[in-house]
Amino acid sequence: MSITRRTALAVAAAAAIVAGSASAQAQTTLKIFTGGQQRPDVMRQILDVYMQRNPGIRAEVEVGGATSEQQQQYLNTVLASRDSALDIILIDVIRPAQWAAAQWAEPLDPYLGAEKDAMMARYLPAYREANVVGGRVIALPYFADSQFLYYRKDLLQKYGFQPPRTWDELITQAQRIKQGEGNANLQGFSTAGAPIEGTVCTYLVPVWGSGGNLTNAQGRLALDGAAAKRPFELFARMKDTGVLPNNIAEIVTDRIRLDFQAGNVIFAQQWGYAWNRFQADADSQVKDKVGVVPLPSFADGQPSTCIGGWQLAVSAFSRNKQAAVNLVRFLSSPEVSKMQAILASHLPVFPDVYTDADVLKANPWFAEAQPVVRAARTRPVSPRYTEVSDIIRSNMNAFLAGTRNADQALADMTTRLTPIFR
Amino acid sequence: MFGLKPRWVVLLAGTIVVVNGFFPMLWILLTSLKTETELLSQPITYLPDRPTLANYHKAFADQPLHLFLFNSFMVSTLSTLLCVTVSAFAAYALVRLKVPFRNLILSSILVVAMFPLISLIVPLFQTMRLLGILNTWWALVLPYTVLSMPVCTLVLASFFQDIPHDLESAAMIDGCSRFGALWRIVVPLSAPGVFTAAILAFVNAWDEFLLALTFANRVEVRTLPVGITLYQSEFAFPWPLISAALIVALIPITVLIAVFQERVVSGLTAGGLK
Amino acid sequence: MSSDTLTRKDVPTAPRVRGDISERTLALLLLAPAILLLLLVVVYPVVQLLISSVHFIHLAQPWMGTPFVGLDNYVRAFEDPRFWNATTNTLMYIVVTVPGALVVGMGLALLANQPFRVKWPTRLGLLLPWALPLVFAGLIFRWFFDSRQGVVNDVIRRLGFEAPQWLSSPDLAFVAICIAIVWKTSSFMALVLLAGMQTIPRSLYEAAEVDGATTWQQFWRITVPMLRPAIVVALIFRTITAIQTFDIPYAMTGGGPGDATETLAMYIHKTTLDFLDFGYGSALAAIMFLISMAVTAVYLRHTRRESES
Repeated sequence: MSITRRTALAVAAAAAIVAGSASAQAQTTLKIFTGGQQRPDVMRQILDVYMQRNPGIRAEVEVGGATSEQQQQYLNTVLASRDSALDIILIDVIRPAQWAAAQWAEPLDPYLGAEKDAMMARYLPAYREANVVGGRVIALPYFADSQFLYYRKDLLQKYGFQPPRTWDELITQAQRIKQGEGNANLQGFSTAGAPIEGTVCTYLVPVWGSGGNLTNAQGRLALDGAAAKRPFELFARMKDTGVLPNNIAEIVTDRIRLDFQAGNVIFAQQWGYAWNRFQADADSQVKDKVGVVPLPSFADGQPSTCIGGWQLAVSAFSRNKQAAVNLVRFLSSPEVSKMQAILASHLPVFPDVYTDADVLKANPWFAEAQPVVRAARTRPVSPRYTEVSDIIRSNMNAFLAGTRNADQALADMTTRLTPIFR
Repeated sequence: MFGLKPRWVVLLAGTIVVVNGFFPMLWILLTSLKTETELLSQPITYLPDRPTLANYHKAFADQPLHLFLFNSFMVSTLSTLLCVTVSAFAAYALVRLKVPFRNLILSSILVVAMFPLISLIVPLFQTMRLLGILNTWWALVLPYTVLSMPVCTLVLASFFQDIPHDLESAAMIDGCSRFGALWRIVVPLSAPGVFTAAILAFVNAWDEFLLALTFANRVEVRTLPVGITLYQSEFAFPWPLISAALIVALIPITVLIAVFQERVVSGLTAGGLK
Repeated sequence: MSSDTLTRKDVPTAPRVRGDISERTLALLLLAPAILLLLLVVVYPVVQLLISSVHFIHLAQPWMGTPFVGLDNYVRAFEDPRFWNATTNTLMYIVVTVPGALVVGMGLALLANQPFRVKWPTRLGLLLPWALPLVFAGLIFRWFFDSRQGVVNDVIRRLGFEAPQWLSSPDLAFVAICIAIVWKTSSFMALVLLAGMQTIPRSLYEAAEVDGATTWQQFWRITVPMLRPAIVVALIFRTITAIQTFDIPYAMTGGGPGDATETLAMYIHKTTLDFLDFGYGSALAAIMFLISMAVTAVYLRHTRRESES
């Protein structure tokens, strides 16, 4: 069998390399892989603290591709080859199930032992849920994120509106403000519509908001209810009323931020990173004019949002698992969560850190963010999530572009998703 | 066709070619002098409102751009040297010597060009790992050499074919070994072909992205195309900054082809790509 | 090679230099580096790939093992609408961009083949698009066709027309991608053709002019036939790369809207590196390789027949 022979060769080669280097160094060196977006500079500062306290450990940061997808493609190659070069890997919140299935992440339960339950209980519930797959702890949370509804405080005040609680209110307000402002460039509501990961959230948030979900309690596909159609109805209405920008099918995450920052958007569904750019960027046209609230729901539903954030996994092929686990526990501690909140404005994964005085001083808006992050939901948990994501985003994108209608999109999603959730 | 034409026809023809070739570069250059806000203004601006060099400062400050330049240069140069040498040997053997299975070898070199590289990434990664050269220049030099081998072999083979046998024989009478004759007579006479092959190989290596992303992920060995994508982040794509980095990346290759443009064109001519 | 044997008979007294070796050994020595590299970088990975293609290997489902499945992965491709969609798209790109690059390249070559006093601006104009990395060419063109901030729509608006959503419509996105590909690939085509044009003896044109041939007739009766060998080689290489079309649509639309602009190479990339379905991805790659071989074989047979006649 090709795979086994390849593996045997690979392991032999890896063993030879490691044997050669281990004798040369008395210290344990840990390699941590992170994306460029996850502030490797801040991670290095944090690691300096750890290395000072643990002189036997040297921790090095390897910075990967720019986007979550680019990083994962690289990691897929490395881990499919069972390479031991990386010890700790920062992974997107959508990945633990895939990593668990592929057996790339070392399950942490044996290392946590009796402390496991007490330790996991301290995290925000959504992160507890996201990192435990089939009862096993696959990774520990590093920092949190979720989608918020950003709105133009100044415009809403001008027209006497409160931030919208329902999608209906949002549409009415957007229409009125657009009319009143008479600015053709002003977009009512912007969200991701290009075939990218964020567009999965564009679809799922209204599904959740009307009490539905992609899968039922048994993990089977549950796209037959009214909830599955809700997003299509919602965005069709937004298109008809001119609330959505007409190039919605081209919109990627940062385009929303840029348009909003230029003062061209009233409401936006957007991740946490945008807040600092709106407030701190020199060219921001919306400084101090931005409000953040939970995303709207339907009149008969619950507000909900998509969870984001990054998790620390220990590579199953690491040669220093115990040392790696120790470092991961440090990186996933309230102490580091607080450091990140202050140094990088990363949303904490512990409820207490949100109310910490130093943290609030650096990020006053965290007070409003906590309830949103608490209500955030995980995207479907599946070892084949990348396929799931691809099916949802391409159909949503085709619907928003107007090349597929709701029934066609839903039918295509159902046919292609059913075998995955069998 | 070569009759005298009015000056304006010639100038117009030249202008079309120049504009077609230069406008994206010009657009990047102009963008690199703008701010991100200006990029989003409506209607769009063509010339920068207030030109700034800030993006260039930032490009060198945010990432070790000079290191990426150095790595790209080394990887491209090494793979070019290797590719031209290997291809010249192979082309000479195939054209001038008696080789069993000549056609099989020639066509299998060409078939290489047909294999979708993207599908070979995982097995190639494993090969590079077995060789222990991952995250070194060589992990890129070897595949780039092979990548350009088909076209280089073809160009060089057609050059070697045109060199009279007598010259070589004469050299051998004068005491040159066969190898010496190759080195002293054949190679110099096919210099234009060697140049063409070298430039083709160099540009191919300079531009490659997908393998570089996977096989040279450490910052110490990262090449320009991969390095430049690092200016973007999970969500953001800062065009002015990336444009500045792109201009920096385009300068060396532009200078190179500007210096050798005469030879590239004449090499393609004489090689005739028969 | 008859001339070769002849020369050697002519010089029977050629002194054998110390250490000189037989022709056959020399040939093998000279070929060895190329063959070694090919074995290492191509043959070994390709064999691995072919083996994978007849196994079920899905890294996200390791509990399924890696059983031998015969030709199942190939059968699956033929029943997969997305495969057919991607293959059709790829063929469409080939059908449009290969002749497109040839026509535009010929135009550029004719324009560049003028008696310029200074030659480097036009030469650089032809060389620059070729030297611009594909990834960035795609990104730049995405930006040109951006419906709000793009130059294309700005010009359309200034001319008083309504600006379309280029990348949101399957047809317009196809057009935009083809324009980008033709721009990127036509310049090298032009270089090869220009190089060929400069070898055509002027006397041919002069004689034709004496006979009263028009410029158009000169182009079709002299330029095109003389350039034929160069055109064929350029077309083969262009077609092979067109079959592998990846970077430009990847950067411009990511395959959207829906899967409307997805190519076979993009689908393979996604299946293997995103979905981790190595078995199926390998089978798709093998199919793509067969298509490349088939296309090249057709070309080669065509040229051989032509050179024989």
